[in-house]
Amino acid sequence: MAATAAPGGAPAADGAPGDGVPYAVELRGITKRFPGVVANRDIELRVRRGEVHAIVGENGAGKSTLMKTLYGMHRPDEGTILLDGRETTLRSPADAIAAGIGMVHQHFMLADNFTVLENIVLGSEPTRRGRLDRAEARRRILDISDRYALNLDPDVLVEDLGVGDRQRVEIAKVLYRGATTLILDEPTAVLVPQEVDELFGNLAELKREGLTVMFISHKLDEVRKVADSITVIRRGTTVGTADPKTTTARQLAELMVGSELPSPETRTSTVREAAVLQLDGVTVAALTGRPAVDDVALTVREGEVVGIAGVEGNGQAELVEAIMGLRALTAGSIAFAGQDVSGWSTRARREGGIGFIPEDRHRQGMLLEAPLWENRILGHQTRPPAVKGPFIDRRSARADTERIMSEYDVRAPGPDTLAHALSGGNQQKLIIGREMSAAPKLLIAAHPTRGVDVGAQSAIWELLKDARAEGLGILLISADLDELIGLSDTLHVMLRGRLVATLDPASLTPEELGGHMTGAHDGSVGAA
Amino acid sequence: MTKAAALLLAGSLALAACASDEESSSASGGSGGSGGGEDLKIGLAFDTGGRGDQSFNDSAVAGVEAAIEELGGEVQELSPNDDASNRGELLTQLAEAGYNPVIAVGFNYDEVIAEVAPQFPDTTFAQVDGSNADGAKGDNVTGLLFAEEQGSFLAGVAAALKTETNNVGFVGGVESPLIEKFQAGFAAGAEAVNPDVEVQVQYLSPAGDFSGFGDPQKGKLVAQGMYQNGADIVFHAAGGSGEGVFEAAVEAGKRAIGVDSDQYLTAPADQQAVIMTSMLKRVDNAVQAFIKAYAEGEVEGATDVTNDLSTGGVGLSTSGGYIDDIADQIEEFEQQILDGEITVPTTP
Amino acid sequence: MTALRRLGTSLAAPALAVVVALVITTLVIVLIGQNPLTALQVLVDFGDTPAQQTQAIVVILNRAVPLFLAGLAVSVAFRMGLFNIGVEGQYRMATVVAAGVGAAVVLPGPLHVLLIMVVAMAVGALWAGIVAVLKVTRGVSEVISSIMLNFIALGTASFLLTGPLRGSPEGASIITTERLPASAQFPALNGLFGALGLAQPRGQLFGFLLVAVVVGIVVSVLLKRTRFGFDLRATGLSPSAATASGIDARRMVVKTMLISGAIAGLIGLPDLLGRTYSFGTEFTAGLGFLGIAVALLGRNSPLGIAFAALLFAFLDRAAVPLQFADIPASVVTIIQGTIVLSVVIANEVSRQVTKRRAGRQSGQATPPAADATGPAGTRIDARQEAGA
Repeated sequence: MAATAAPGGAPAADGAPGDGVPYAVELRGITKRFPGVVANRDIELRVRRGEVHAIVGENGAGKSTLMKTLYGMHRPDEGTILLDGRETTLRSPADAIAAGIGMVHQHFMLADNFTVLENIVLGSEPTRRGRLDRAEARRRILDISDRYALNLDPDVLVEDLGVGDRQRVEIAKVLYRGATTLILDEPTAVLVPQEVDELFGNLAELKREGLTVMFISHKLDEVRKVADSITVIRRGTTVGTADPKTTTARQLAELMVGSELPSPETRTSTVREAAVLQLDGVTVAALTGRPAVDDVALTVREGEVVGIAGVEGNGQAELVEAIMGLRALTAGSIAFAGQDVSGWSTRARREGGIGFIPEDRHRQGMLLEAPLWENRILGHQTRPPAVKGPFIDRRSARADTERIMSEYDVRAPGPDTLAHALSGGNQQKLIIGREMSAAPKLLIAAHPTRGVDVGAQSAIWELLKDARAEGLGILLISADLDELIGLSDTLHVMLRGRLVATLDPASLTPEELGGHMTGAHDGSVGAA
Repeated sequence: MTKAAALLLAGSLALAACASDEESSSASGGSGGSGGGEDLKIGLAFDTGGRGDQSFNDSAVAGVEAAIEELGGEVQELSPNDDASNRGELLTQLAEAGYNPVIAVGFNYDEVIAEVAPQFPDTTFAQVDGSNADGAKGDNVTGLLFAEEQGSFLAGVAAALKTETNNVGFVGGVESPLIEKFQAGFAAGAEAVNPDVEVQVQYLSPAGDFSGFGDPQKGKLVAQGMYQNGADIVFHAAGGSGEGVFEAAVEAGKRAIGVDSDQYLTAPADQQAVIMTSMLKRVDNAVQAFIKAYAEGEVEGATDVTNDLSTGGVGLSTSGGYIDDIADQIEEFEQQILDGEITVPTTP
Repeated sequence: MTALRRLGTSLAAPALAVVVALVITTLVIVLIGQNPLTALQVLVDFGDTPAQQTQAIVVILNRAVPLFLAGLAVSVAFRMGLFNIGVEGQYRMATVVAAGVGAAVVLPGPLHVLLIMVVAMAVGALWAGIVAVLKVTRGVSEVISSIMLNFIALGTASFLLTGPLRGSPEGASIITTERLPASAQFPALNGLFGALGLAQPRGQLFGFLLVAVVVGIVVSVLLKRTRFGFDLRATGLSPSAATASGIDARRMVVKTMLISGAIAGLIGLPDLLGRTYSFGTEFTAGLGFLGIAVALLGRNSPLGIAFAALLFAFLDRAAVPLQFADIPASVVTIIQGTIVLSVVIANEVSRQVTKRRAGRQSGQATPPAADATGPAGTRIDARQEAGA
């Protein structure tokens, strides 16, 4: 079945597909309202027992609300939930667990200094005469581990585990509580490709054992790889189902966004002669061991996007902070628009015309508990329109926030809305709008589309492209290889604090780039 | 951070409230029984610590009660708030409500009584531990003073006669002129017996910080130090902190001298064994005498009533009988003071 | 969310807290065998004669002024996430030095008062500045260092009082600094009662009330309307975001502590310039700690702190009449303690409610931290938290 504009298949009256076996999960006409907003409307969802069912949609489309409904975290205003054909009311996650539904959260909820065994049994400990029955727990965990090929060692401390292992612990935790339907919320967001493959292997095992998996994602390639069927959510409602075998990623994406998809590719070079940023021998000390940033030299010219690729934790964050004056240099110099700014304060650099999109917008980019107009001021405290002399110009700040909201499509009730009420994409668009409003000469963009849905992502790409065409120099740090290859004019690879390769994005595949990032091709292509 | 702090704070406020709750019990006379118009209506304003401090506040209460027993009447007691910022209000409201006489307990009333008393010329005031010999506080204020240095001198004599290590200690609550009188007298008395005796002196808190009168832990710590440094008798003039001094004495197997009231009588058995004597400061007698004088119309105002050895206002207690064997020698010194042969210094 | 609704939410919390505190206090009063209605009556009974009633107002305002200043001093630091527990020491040092300097110089009236205020603010700022310097250069927690400095202030003030600044005669039982001359005394505001056609109270209304109002307005404008205030609040909301925005966190710590300390320096002045005219051993202590409670109750906003200070003062006034009614004065302390505790809890609850409501407004029920998801496309992460 190809992508259709309506829920696929004629709904059987008894909640069963054609073969007579009831659906493991069926939602009929689920509507959930929050004051002033309908988060879910007429949701129709049918999940067969023993399949991997993907739910895709943009951020803010209502996936999370739906999953919370299914996990008993709140009750729908309308509609019914059928589990194995029986109408069920879920009042709490405990009800959901009792009904065999388990949730693997995107952010792991594990205690680092406990062992795998302790984490798994935490909350449902088998006891013998009031004491934790370790032997029994171990037996059951090893049993689960064997059956689903989770490969767990019960006695390892969780803090010693990698991300993929932790995720398997989470899965085991859910299975340990007897779940037969697993909800995985964005499970691949935190994984590297090899781990993603392993996860998909585990999902296959779960499926083989007859468990049902609901897989929330917006990584369409993955969804097509792993899912047996797909339901697409857009603007709070289910807009269709799709068969992954016959649907392309592009078709899916268009179903998700409801429009043609953008691509990050930039067409013509707009690189000019004048350099806006020149790093020379930039070195930043780490707390211990070798420097976090080691002898980095690079140049960003007007109208140029310089990309930095690299596995996270290889010094990109430190490099960005050094350029922004948030971290001291141990050696080297930073020149901005021909001036040595190594000794400048962060504020002086920002005033001079460096815009900054931090990688963690909650930590460095926003005041979550402040209204949007105050967030408009953040980082621009010394420049109009936000200020007049030593005073804050509230009216202008509000007006300019409204301008940004309309120009950059920030969806929020108004400038007095608190920042944490916005979705990630809208927060990010506000940050970009704010930084662009000051007409910077250089933009340091760290993961500008991280955690942003497809619609916002394309909007951000367009913004960056336009700014580049107008002569803005951009230093782009990203983990999204398509983004890096598509946007960059020049691409550097960062490994262990050093720039180990300079690549031409015009003739580069994500696979090749990935190889450089892990050091497989270290220095093979024109070292910097 | 702020939340934790708030909880801490609220907790401590509540604790403080509970703590002071025990101390400030209700007025004993009560406003209900107004009785005949002739009856005395005595106003009693405490200093910080209030009722139940087992020290001068309680002693004043005892004096008032004894007076009521004898003369009839009622009393309204008022305690100041925690930071004692409303002392003036206490006196004012007592006077406004028609209480007469109004007795303020403690030298901390020095300034406010000088402000309030002139506003109520028809009310008779008295201040325990405050002087009004020059009439600066108004014509209607009488100072009830004590020759603490004389009593302390005798305590020093007793200590010097009893010490086996030739080393005695003095623990003062707050380093203020009043407590320095105790120190001066004690040191002079000890040296009068034996010029070579070593007198260790320590105060628990500096002037302006009244925590030294209510910090038994610190009292114990300081006394422990003195015993370790060779003292075998420690005299305290530290109010509630004295409890700690006694504990230290029990633990060290040494002796201590109490203050204000006969502390032997209120101490538990293990401490009774170490309280050699107490330097008595008969606030009760002074207050009772003042009320009696007032009832008989003999209060002149703008004067001081000094309670010293000659009036029995200060002295040594003999409960426990630990100093019976040196009674003669103590009496000798007492006589010399009474005869004016010895003038006890009031400052160290 | 409408402004009205937000106002409602922000007022609901303290109001609820007061109610809860009253309920608890009622229970306590019943438990000790007294009539809570009597207590309530005493609280609101300002006296029989007009003069007594205005006097009660004077007592309340005179108590509220230093409490307000103390709350303000604490709140300024709170707003940027600093816990200035050292207000106590700061005002003690400020008052003793200001009293000494004020008595030592001769100046015409307003100038003399002004000099004393400047000296007090400078000393308070300096004392708080030590905390700031220790924090930015050595990383010492301001809580620890300011507690320690409170002890040092006690000792130092005592040394100054008994030593170089001693003005009282040898042998006087209260040691004080030399009395301030008339030119340094802040005139009382009692003319106000006459102007308003009210009875003249017995006591004097602190003229310093005016200074407190001005300071409150200045602080309010500073926090809400100025760049500096924005930087201060931003640092309090998110130090990392503030730093990334170009705010020099260290400099902010120093500046904020200096301001907090300068305001703290004023706490003792209403008494010094309006009543005692000298600093002595019996000078009111503990206002710095009460200021923390007042700041919490007032939710760190100048207007809220003004209300909180008045509420505390209103309750404090009842301490004396309660004793006349045979109810222990500590009931007042219990009410104050429970109010503060309830406010903290109620604030937290209302913050959660506001947050949840805001979350629903935009139709995004996910918690804000849960959307750091990856972008569509190939992506390689070393670790979940790497580089964060």
